Amino acid sequence: MKQESVMKLKHEKIEEEVRSTLKLLNEMGPFEAHHLFRAKLMRRIETDLKQNNGGALLGRPDFRLACMIMLLLFNLASAFVSMQQESSQSMTTAGQLAGTQSDYYSAQEFAYYDQTTSYDHKSP
Amino acid sequence: MTSRDEMFRNIVAEHQELVLNTCYRFVFNREDAEDLAQEVFVEVFRSFDQFREESKLSTWIYRIAVTKSLDHLRRVKRKKRFSSLKRVLGLADAADNIAAPSMNNPAEELASSERAKVLQDALDTLPESQKIAFLLSKQDGYSNQEIADILNTSLSAVESLVHRAKKNLYNKLYASYKKH
Repeated sequence: MKQESVMKLKHEKIEEEVRSTLKLLNEMGPFEAHHLFRAKLMRRIETDLKQNNGGALLGRPDFRLACMIMLLLFNLASAFVSMQQESSQSMTTAGQLAGTQSDYYSAQEFAYYDQTTSYDHKSP
Repeated sequence: MTSRDEMFRNIVAEHQELVLNTCYRFVFNREDAEDLAQEVFVEVFRSFDQFREESKLSTWIYRIAVTKSLDHLRRVKRKKRFSSLKRVLGLADAADNIAAPSMNNPAEELASSERAKVLQDALDTLPESQKIAFLLSKQDGYSNQEIADILNTSLSAVESLVHRAKKNLYNKLYASYKKH
């Protein structure tokens, strides 16, 4: 009997604690915003906008697409230029080689061959 | 001042109290609630062009307020976990242990802050939808229909969520006080 009443008392005490705790939510009366709330907010928005202007531009999909297209065009152009240079270089090298070779065979050391080519068989 | 700015100022003036008090219900701290309310309106300003009139403007704003408050609570939880890990590793920062400034009556403050902590812990264990529905139902200014719109659910679902939240919260608080 005594244990039952102790249990009941304990239960009532816990219930009271729960009620008081839940009451906190009802007691949370509405509070008004700080009088500088709006001023602070507008200042924050201004600084945020200034800071994020560059970032926002980078974050825009059309800007990113434009950047990608520009990069692609730049890559293509540089590839085209380097290919052009390579082909003109190889042409120059071939021309130079031919020139050198003709110079080489017409050099003084090979004069004999020139002479032999102009040798007249019919003459005695 | 542009017409957009003018319109934004009107929106802030109209909704700031409810946004502020909604955030306060979630975070139990006035300063954090003010910071969060500012974040809410910054977000509103930034995303205003993306607002499609599928819902009411107020519903959209309060949904942002709820999301920001829940994000804040998640951040706090993560920070708590991290600081307890730091404590275990012996890397705790002394500044973490400095108590917040107290009110006029220290004993009363301590009791109410302990109570608030018990309540917040119990609320944290509730499923998110129950917690949102319950806290918004406790706030003046929200009809059940508005809560349903914020949660993107039906009116009957909100009533059920609030009912279950009350029951769960009572049980959790009872268990918590029984342990002590």
